[in-house]
Amino acid sequence: MGVATVVGVGFAALGQTLSAGLQAGLFWVAVLFGMFPALARGFIVEEETGTADLLRVAARPASVFWGKWLFHATLYLLLSGVLVPLYALLVAPIAGHGGAWLLLWLGGGFCLTSVLTLCGALVAQTTVRGALLAGLTFPLLLPLMLMLIAGSRQAIEGVFPAEPLQGVFGYALALSAGGAWVFEKVWRE
Amino acid sequence: MQQWTLECRRLGKRFGERWVFRGLELELATGAMLVVRGANGSGKSTLMKLIAGLLAPTEGAVALRCEGGAVSDRTRFLGWCAADGALYRELTGYEHLRWWAQVRGLPDDRDALMAQLDRFELAPRAHDWVRAYSTGMRQRLRMAIATYGDPPLLLLDEPDAGLDASGLKLLRQVLDEQTRRGIALFATNRVECAAWGDLALELGA
Repeated sequence: MGVATVVGVGFAALGQTLSAGLQAGLFWVAVLFGMFPALARGFIVEEETGTADLLRVAARPASVFWGKWLFHATLYLLLSGVLVPLYALLVAPIAGHGGAWLLLWLGGGFCLTSVLTLCGALVAQTTVRGALLAGLTFPLLLPLMLMLIAGSRQAIEGVFPAEPLQGVFGYALALSAGGAWVFEKVWRE
Repeated sequence: MQQWTLECRRLGKRFGERWVFRGLELELATGAMLVVRGANGSGKSTLMKLIAGLLAPTEGAVALRCEGGAVSDRTRFLGWCAADGALYRELTGYEHLRWWAQVRGLPDDRDALMAQLDRFELAPRAHDWVRAYSTGMRQRLRMAIATYGDPPLLLLDEPDAGLDASGLKLLRQVLDEQTRRGIALFATNRVECAAWGDLALELGA
């Protein structure tokens, strides 16, 4: 999905100069679209194939949460390896403040991974997955996306995005502290 | 030998408006083998899942005690095997047991794992994918996993499903061994197996 988004945007923007804000927005939308199918690979497959109970008996909730988190983080890493060069080639070069881009990529990746892991666990245990997924992820992802887009826009303009980065890393801290705790409450009914 | 006790106090589970059971009192100590019987839908699997900690009770509580002291996370001390319990089809039987051993912090050396698989007559097919296993072989693998590391509490939910005569003999051995070191709960609808336990609980009666 991420690749399709980047290719689609790349063709739509062919020959045009995109503003910094638009470039930043398209970049993170492509990353988000690419990460969404990972939700199904995390917990939904475990519930659908019936292996979730085996996993519940096998391991502590925190181990399961961080194990799945690592799986999603690896996907984010692989996805970035494909999407970033493709985006630079088809849409716009990843230009501006390199250090800021790296921090945004790290912080954004941590938060996206945490939100998707947590939402995947919650959604997997219900029967109305589509509706619940949208309802759950929207309030969690919207502030993150706004901070990432604002930070990336500043990075493209060559400015170090101190405030958006503070927000992203604060959000990451809150998610790492609360994510595993919330997960433990929902994992075993 | 450590003294383990399993206690269920006023245990009840409701799904929607329907109570599966209510006010269940149970106390089992090391050496006990309880056979749980009942018609389909009577709550055998629900009871097993409540004891395993896979479901939260609507009312009442379950506790596992060791030498009188409550165990905080009883899931770590139990072996669980359900006839409908899924296995990872993309793993081999050996990989499955190794995964279990690693996650549970049990010995994961080849000899120990192969000895356990051999005990359940799975050694010749240890490196075959689980998806290529027959129903009976999958059930044997579930039992091999559930009993690996000699857990003090063994919960077997219709483990006799799909087992042939030698599988049933093996199951009987597993249950007898369990009662020498801990507690066994065994849900079944099979008449010949229902007589194995020294205690019986009839649900839905």
